[in-house]
Amino acid sequence: MTAPPETIRKYQKRRWSSLESQEARLAWKLLLPTAIIVFGLVIFPAIFSIWISFHKVNLSNLNDVFHAPYVGLDNYVRVVNDYAFKWTSWKNMGAYITSIVYSFVSTILTIFIGLIAALLLNKPFRARGLSRAVFLFPYVAPIVSVAFVWRWLLDPRPSGVMNDILMRLNLIQRPLGFLSTPGLALILVIVFTGWRYFPFAMLMILARLQAIDKTLYEAADVDGASTLHKFWYITMPELRYVVGALFLLRLIWTFNKFDDIYLLTGGGFGTNVLPVLTYQFSFRLFNFGVGAAAAMILLLTLVVFLVFYVGVFMRYTEED
Amino acid sequence: MASTTYEDRPKNFIEHLASHMSWGKFIFALVLFFFLASVLFPFYWMIASSFKTYAEIGGRHPVYIPSALRWDAYQELFSYWNFQRNILNSFLVAIPTSLIAVVLSTMGAYASARLKFRGKNIILNSILIIYLFPGILLIIPLFAMLAKIGDAVGFDVQDNLGILVFTYLAQTLPVALYMLANYFRTIPEEIEQAALIDGCTRSQVIWKVTLPLSIPALVSVVIYTFMIAWNEFLYALVFLNDRDMFTMPIKINTIFNDPTPRPHVVMAASTIMTIPIIILFLAMERYLTEGLAAGGVKG
Repeated sequence: MTAPPETIRKYQKRRWSSLESQEARLAWKLLLPTAIIVFGLVIFPAIFSIWISFHKVNLSNLNDVFHAPYVGLDNYVRVVNDYAFKWTSWKNMGAYITSIVYSFVSTILTIFIGLIAALLLNKPFRARGLSRAVFLFPYVAPIVSVAFVWRWLLDPRPSGVMNDILMRLNLIQRPLGFLSTPGLALILVIVFTGWRYFPFAMLMILARLQAIDKTLYEAADVDGASTLHKFWYITMPELRYVVGALFLLRLIWTFNKFDDIYLLTGGGFGTNVLPVLTYQFSFRLFNFGVGAAAAMILLLTLVVFLVFYVGVFMRYTEED
Repeated sequence: MASTTYEDRPKNFIEHLASHMSWGKFIFALVLFFFLASVLFPFYWMIASSFKTYAEIGGRHPVYIPSALRWDAYQELFSYWNFQRNILNSFLVAIPTSLIAVVLSTMGAYASARLKFRGKNIILNSILIIYLFPGILLIIPLFAMLAKIGDAVGFDVQDNLGILVFTYLAQTLPVALYMLANYFRTIPEEIEQAALIDGCTRSQVIWKVTLPLSIPALVSVVIYTFMIAWNEFLYALVFLNDRDMFTMPIKINTIFNDPTPRPHVVMAASTIMTIPIIILFLAMERYLTEGLAAGGVKG
């Protein structure tokens, strides 16, 4: 047995004008512009990118992209077999392995420098506020400016500041091409990343440090613990979660990072990483299909790592 | 009777220092100095180099302190490179981005912090997924998609600053919304309910109660989005071709890659681009630091 139509209509009308559904409608109206922009310019393109990676898309058919021929896994095969991508030797690691090495090492370095900076700023001293503000400069300054200052400091000519200092100290005899020597270039790009992004790690660690219960240290003092012991047995365990979260966040961002390496070396001299390779495929060779395939490999690696990390990390925290 | 003992004798400088110094303090000071020097030196070098001449730039040894404040590089920047046009373009992109972002994210943040509706969590989570997406992954489909739409509707995708504003909004809105929603949750709901009971409508509550209480958060969202749009490189690199439409980062890249090396001109342009950001940051530091720690700038 069903309710008479008037009752349903009345009920629907009441539902439509009830305070609850009025609120819900207001919420949707308020969220709509953001949702449209994010859907149209992030979520749809992300899905479209999967489609492109299975099709032959280049400059000639960009205007007619929806009719691009399907090529299956060809784009992926091309990326994986590309000399710029695959591992050939220790001297030529390829963009995939370089990406992984670069992201892991610079993330660890960033957190390490950030930890030291946070420990420095954790004690009260004169000019602490000013020092903290100054420490944040590398992070807030435009990437283009800081990358080009570094290139200029690391200039390969004898007039480069780094060359001048090292030659005056007699550490090197001839000027070095810092950013054009394979190996050295990768190390310096990692150092640059540590220099630029440590303030983010510093802020997060500092916030956690200042929330640690002071009585823990007092109790340790009573027990006669040394500074090192206090750091190892009180500070480090308290920092574990924030460092875990930081590691994840910084690793993702570093893995996705295009600007830093593109501006410092252009991806040359053993510093090519997946985002730069994607750019080269797409906007140097104008092979968008292959570019999209490279980007998908990047994203897949990220997702696999994320699932693994969350699985291990979550289990680890649940055990406590 | 006053007798001068060893302790009362006026100390000389070294003794004075030694009585205050311990090994721990010495190491602390050393590390602090090392940090400050390595952070500040590149910035010093940027500003100092911008006041050098071709002769000082091209010498065999670097010139650590420029002989005089010479404005050669700045003159070249404005007369030969037409940099004022690029400064204007950067403002034309960054100001609309930050203003639109703060308006839209306030609306969305209010909805997700205060109102109840179905699908809220799905929307919020999918908005946060953007944290994971590489910008480089989105740029290929965006390029193809916008070219297609542009053809159909009749606008140019290339060299269109409006398009750039939209792509920056897509990058900044999610984080801005997230930050503001967190802030709105810290405002006690009772204040708003009291206003509702007194007969205010929802929009009056938002205008007269919530927003005035959130000014610090709103200011920091405006500054963040401004900074992101001002500094952004990749999207501008792909979407802009015409030198007159370049924003500052792309123009600096062009000057750098010019066959004739002009480091002092590059440094002058970098100085012009960096100083406003540093000043803005120092002036608003109190509001900004918290937002930075919350991941406000994805960098």
